[in-house]
Amino acid sequence: MTPAPLLEIAGLTRHFKLKGGLFGRSAGVVRAVDGISFEVDEGETLGIVGESGCGKSTTARLIVDLIAADSGTIRLGGRTLGVDLELRELRRQVQMVFQDSYASLNPRLTVEEAIAFGPTVNGVSVREATALAHELLVKVGLEPKRFAGRYPHELSGGQRQRVNIARALAFRPKVVILDEAVSALDKSVEAQVLNLLSDLKRELGLTYIFISHDLNVVRYMADRVMVMYLGEVAEIGPVESIYARPTHPYTQALLSAMPSMDPDQLTREAPLAGDPPNPINPPPGCRFHTRCRYATELCGKTTPSLFALAAPRHLAACHRAIPGSGHPDAPRRLETAA
Amino acid sequence: MSVTASALGRPTPVERSPGYWAGVVRRLRRDPVAMVALAIIVVLVLLAIFAPWVAPNDPYRSSMIRRLRPIGTPGFPLGTDELGRDMLSRLIFGARLSLLMGVTPVFVAFFVGSFIGITAGYLGGKVNTVLMRTIDVFFAFPSVLLAIALSGALGAGIFNGLLSLSIVFIPPIARIAESVTTAVRKIDYVEAARASGASAMTIIRVHVLGNVLGPIFVYATGLISVSLILASGLSFLGLGVKPPEPEWGLMLNTLRNAIYVQPWVAALPGVMIFITSISFNLLSDGLRSAMDIKA
Repeated sequence: MTPAPLLEIAGLTRHFKLKGGLFGRSAGVVRAVDGISFEVDEGETLGIVGESGCGKSTTARLIVDLIAADSGTIRLGGRTLGVDLELRELRRQVQMVFQDSYASLNPRLTVEEAIAFGPTVNGVSVREATALAHELLVKVGLEPKRFAGRYPHELSGGQRQRVNIARALAFRPKVVILDEAVSALDKSVEAQVLNLLSDLKRELGLTYIFISHDLNVVRYMADRVMVMYLGEVAEIGPVESIYARPTHPYTQALLSAMPSMDPDQLTREAPLAGDPPNPINPPPGCRFHTRCRYATELCGKTTPSLFALAAPRHLAACHRAIPGSGHPDAPRRLETAA
Repeated sequence: MSVTASALGRPTPVERSPGYWAGVVRRLRRDPVAMVALAIIVVLVLLAIFAPWVAPNDPYRSSMIRRLRPIGTPGFPLGTDELGRDMLSRLIFGARLSLLMGVTPVFVAFFVGSFIGITAGYLGGKVNTVLMRTIDVFFAFPSVLLAIALSGALGAGIFNGLLSLSIVFIPPIARIAESVTTAVRKIDYVEAARASGASAMTIIRVHVLGNVLGPIFVYATGLISVSLILASGLSFLGLGVKPPEPEWGLMLNTLRNAIYVQPWVAALPGVMIFITSISFNLLSDGLRSAMDIKA
């Protein structure tokens, strides 16, 4: 039997109410994250991909309760948040690194103060925390003598993001959520930081949730990938399986839009047309059916749920993959039963 | 939590960058206008403190014989007022009350207003609504009218004048504090601090105050000149300082009948109010640009 996953998310939901008019009458609801469930194993990297506004970052913020969830349960190491796991403990064990390396550092604090803040809040003496900060600076490849007393505006983007990683690691977390942590860096620096992240993961036995819109980077970093569309999980599975046999038409479109290094593999036609529908009033049925080339009447009516495919741990929410769903492309129920 | 770092002992010495405020001071010192303004303010403050030693005459001693002497009269370099008192001495002593009336209300309002604004801005939601809508009520009245109404209701006197001016300046400072805090609160480093499990008080102390007090302070220094003029206005109307105390606004009032006889002497308190308030304004501007860097 496989050990229990480190982080289990079940039915996580957050709807933002739009206020409009007098007296804050509700003018609609943005279904930013709509009942998503997934789990992360100890020591693995789960990549989360999807278009802008699909709920990637909201999911990350919901996990550490920076945004309050409407419903859903969060379990870490077998303990449930709000039952036998305190928020403070969860936040210590699950740390975040944000996209904007500049905005994530207080301009009035030196690098060592910024890194030491977390430990001091959790009861470590200032002196020990400072020593720890220096130790972590070495770990992220910044010489303490040169960098510990500097202010964020004196550092480059890559250096700042290294400081942010050190700041997150100062809590000795089990899980680090990297919310587009390398997206703002230029390519050569991005590669350095990605290698640093891989080294740290191996050295400290970390678990990553790696949020990105760059599919090449996710392929390099992740063990498993979760594809999100309009606040829902479209497909989730091991990285090889997803990249080799994408099942959800949205995943297929995303992957075909991926820039290729091979000039023979040019993207000749736009894989997807138009913008994602407004999440304020998501389309009924499968949320992707308005842009899906395989959509039938069924897709506009019934919402497909995640279905386990033949490949291990590979699930997709598409009627075409669900036997007996009624979609003309779907496998027959009998075939799977046989 | 085990800290392996403790095994390392004392942290290695590091190269330190000059802090933010060192940079502000350095830039401010390169600003000639701000430095002149600062020099004038320092001189005025020193004159106010050492008035008994600096002033050539007793500011209260009147004489019916030498009333309204012109500027340049021997023994009375700036002339005499309508009761024959030495103008120079009265202007020097006047700096005491005028500066007190100008600076104190802003100082008090800076603390109270910042407290209200930062609380409202950081907590947001209903607390923000209740606090800021209450503050908004005060914006319905023009500040001069509010100051006069409060002073009138509380009664004349220096303390009541200071109190009413403080109340007048709390709403604008609270509003600035609220908007700056609301902006800072949304920045990632505050989010990261919240995700660290720190209490609201710790986050405000470490991450919010350092980034909001500067802008609020700059705004408050800009209010000193307004306070000075309002205080003079209250005294002019008989709601602040009472005669025979030397205070610039009051002196302007009592000398106004002499404006056709000795216009230059009558204008002197106004000149002092002008110089002082413009100095505070220019210093505030200099401070704003010295602090306005990306870090």
